[in-house]
Amino acid sequence: MMDAIRTENLTKKYNLGWGRGRLLALDGLNLRVCEGEVYGLLGPNGSGKSTTLKLILDLVWPTSGAAWIFDVPCNKVVSRLHVGFLPENPYFYKYLTGAETLEFYGRLCGLSGAALRKRVDELLEMVGLARARDRRLAGYSKGMLQRIGLAQALVHDPKLLLLDEPTAGVDPIGSKDIRDLILRLKGMGKTVLLSSHLLAQVQDVCDRIGVLNLGKMILEGEVSQLVSDQQRLSFTVQGLPESGRAAVESAVAAAGGVVVSVEHPQTTLETLFLEALRKDKRGAGEHD
Amino acid sequence: MTDARNEWVGFSPRRVWMIAVNTLTESVRQKVYLIMILFALVLISSASFFSQFGFGETGGQEALEQLKFIKDFCLGAISVFGMLIAIVGTAQLIPNELENRTIYTILSKPVRRFEFLLGKYAGSALLVLVSVVMMSVMFGAALKFKGDNYLKVTQQSVGQAQDAGTMEEAVRQMQKIRAAVYDPDLVKALLLTFVKLALLAAITLLVSTFSTSMVFNVAVALLIFFAGHLVGPAKEKWAESGAARFLLTLIPDLSVFNVADDVILGNAIPWLYVAKVVVYGAVYLVCVIAAAHFVFADREI
Repeated sequence: MMDAIRTENLTKKYNLGWGRGRLLALDGLNLRVCEGEVYGLLGPNGSGKSTTLKLILDLVWPTSGAAWIFDVPCNKVVSRLHVGFLPENPYFYKYLTGAETLEFYGRLCGLSGAALRKRVDELLEMVGLARARDRRLAGYSKGMLQRIGLAQALVHDPKLLLLDEPTAGVDPIGSKDIRDLILRLKGMGKTVLLSSHLLAQVQDVCDRIGVLNLGKMILEGEVSQLVSDQQRLSFTVQGLPESGRAAVESAVAAAGGVVVSVEHPQTTLETLFLEALRKDKRGAGEHD
Repeated sequence: MTDARNEWVGFSPRRVWMIAVNTLTESVRQKVYLIMILFALVLISSASFFSQFGFGETGGQEALEQLKFIKDFCLGAISVFGMLIAIVGTAQLIPNELENRTIYTILSKPVRRFEFLLGKYAGSALLVLVSVVMMSVMFGAALKFKGDNYLKVTQQSVGQAQDAGTMEEAVRQMQKIRAAVYDPDLVKALLLTFVKLALLAAITLLVSTFSTSMVFNVAVALLIFFAGHLVGPAKEKWAESGAARFLLTLIPDLSVFNVADDVILGNAIPWLYVAKVVVYGAVYLVCVIAAAHFVFADREI
């Protein structure tokens, strides 16, 4: 299978100017993103995530090394035919409405007429902005901007999506929507490379992750393998009386195991939050 | 499945046009330009009210003086407001694109950088064109309004004329007024003003390709605008120095576009001169856009 993205020794040094030397933003990155997978690029601020995406999109140029999109060198315009990009904190053209924004990007990608209108309707529906289609972007909330950003990245139905911090600054419901959307896109066979520093959010959607720090890849692998603790096993039991607990513990000890901890499982605050909003009869959040 | 390795993305005038229209829409919807144009229109239309209708026994000359005043005032206003719109409208384009990160969304699509740059410029030139056309129409209307008034009064004096000499004088006067109102050289002056402003917008775009600050862009563009009007005299002064002459050719001589004074004085402006100046402006414009392209193609975003 063809790699959606491949980089070889990709290195980027930024000139700081006025004799202050150069900043090593990315140091010999070898990245492979397979077709159809969701890959998460993680790392603290300034670790080189955005630089990696910009290098892949030919917005900045490597000091050394090279990158390919579907085997086409990144410095060729044609490499971007099948790529959609959502930049970090996008603002877009404030004076355009949601529908006009998508029409503009659609036209840039060669769509027109009925096909364009159909695509715009489809996308607005998909990202849940159908009711806000005729409102100017100046009045959109952060979450809505992020969703219109996703829609513009998808306008030409690209095979590969690059999302820079897609859930940053978005409330938990918006963030959940975006993650659901990413999973839907994966189901449609798209490849997604996303960058994030919100680790818990990435865990649900990514097949593989790579961790960058100070421009270097320090950890990479499949999420399910990285986070599962092969040495330990946890049971979640319901309806066990207090007396039964001693029996279970002795049974574990008899079989040669050690009980490390016994506790009531906790839900995450996020689950609790989403559940509370779901129960609110007036609907959840702004959403349009 | 389509394979990008076998595909090709060429230069597309359609994409340039899309970006131009988007740039124009964005500018028009920013109320600052509307207010600027509105203000200019009000000013131009009020030019004909600035002077009182004084038309005495020897007042024939005064009518022509008044029409001259309107032309002088309106051509000046069009030039100044056009300059403001060209510079401010263009200076903010690239800084805004960077700030709103829209430049990333456009250049990450199969769009060439040159298409983006040209589209941004075309949008700005369209804004200048629309503004100049609107101001010119208002100018024409103000001139015609005032001219028609004078014609009406002169017509009356023809009716009341006691002798053939006065009558002839009044008829000649009417011809002069008509000639002053329907002066084809006004179109030449407006055309050259537009070419000058289009060139100014291109220069502003060039400045904004290597800076990130809108204030810097505006300041440098204004400086070049004023310097451009001093190039002609400077060339005469330093005619002997080769180096000075070379440096001065880098700055376009904007004074060649200013034919307003000749139009007002009634000096004929040959089409050949207009054609020469338009070609001069066009060649300069192409060079400036090419320079902007070389800077922008090499800029990391």
